[in-house]
Amino acid sequence: MAYVVDTAHVDPVDAQEYMRILETEAVPVMTAAGAGFVSCWGTSPELGEEVWIETVWSFADHSEWNQIRKNMVLDPRWYQYSEKTARLRTGGTRRFFYAAPFSPLA
Amino acid sequence: MSEGAAAEKERALESAFRRCGDFIPEMLHSVVGKNLSDARVQMVWEHAYESPEAYQRYMVHPFHANILDRYLLNDCPERIVADSPLGDGTLVGYSCEGPVYFMDHGLRKVVLFGLEGTAEQQGSFVEALRGLATIQDGVTLSVVEPNTFGVAWFDGVTPILPPSQWTHIWELGFSSAETYDAYQQGDSPLARAEASGWKEDGCDAVRQAVELHYTVNL
Repeated sequence: MAYVVDTAHVDPVDAQEYMRILETEAVPVMTAAGAGFVSCWGTSPELGEEVWIETVWSFADHSEWNQIRKNMVLDPRWYQYSEKTARLRTGGTRRFFYAAPFSPLA
Repeated sequence: MSEGAAAEKERALESAFRRCGDFIPEMLHSVVGKNLSDARVQMVWEHAYESPEAYQRYMVHPFHANILDRYLLNDCPERIVADSPLGDGTLVGYSCEGPVYFMDHGLRKVVLFGLEGTAEQQGSFVEALRGLATIQDGVTLSVVEPNTFGVAWFDGVTPILPPSQWTHIWELGFSSAETYDAYQQGDSPLARAEASGWKEDGCDAVRQAVELHYTVNL
């Protein structure tokens, strides 16, 4: 199993709306495309700094990811929510992770 | 590029395109160009594959998903490209028997055409384009092919999208920027037709066209 970890940076006032879009729009599209929804985490919005929201998707291997990617980009809903989240984001990263042999989640 | 895209990210994307062949040996003749035409396109990446199978290996390579898509996919936090004014012309391509497009230096001119009309009208126009290399000084190649790849990007073969508005690709090679300028400003029938917006006689098949050009230096 491999994982896509998206880390989004948002203003604290936008964190709740960002999470709402992830829950109601991104998760349905990504899971319909074939990705596994692993987790979504956020830092506290009460610390006077940007909130970091980390979303983790799973896939078996890069052949499967290629199929998921195809399904994503052929789904008009993917473009719609991507535009909404991009407007709220101030920065962030996407990285692919591969489990260490001793990881309990592999 | 998106408005406000950081210059360092643009350089990172260009570098990723240039280094791609180091990681994915199936990729051939990769060239990154900075568009010099008036079209609202900044960066052009041309690359080739020996076969659909070779292209399919590129598609599933981790470098593709990890590095290239980081800057390209709409949902990526690090996306720096904007939606292209070319629409589905963002990705175009064609099949050929060998590297008829290949040039290791000079200036590349690419014209995307949306052709319409009868097969005869289109055929005679395409033949006129193809013939340019044999009659024009400084033109090292002139390739015209149907854009079969843009709608079949998943495996390089099977169409998964509706037909593209850009039906044909015209690729020209010029020995230098000077020979390109001489052609563009010259009085050859095709140069005049292009300057007129493809409104001259013999261009009835042209519904739309957009031109890009950039330096090639391998």
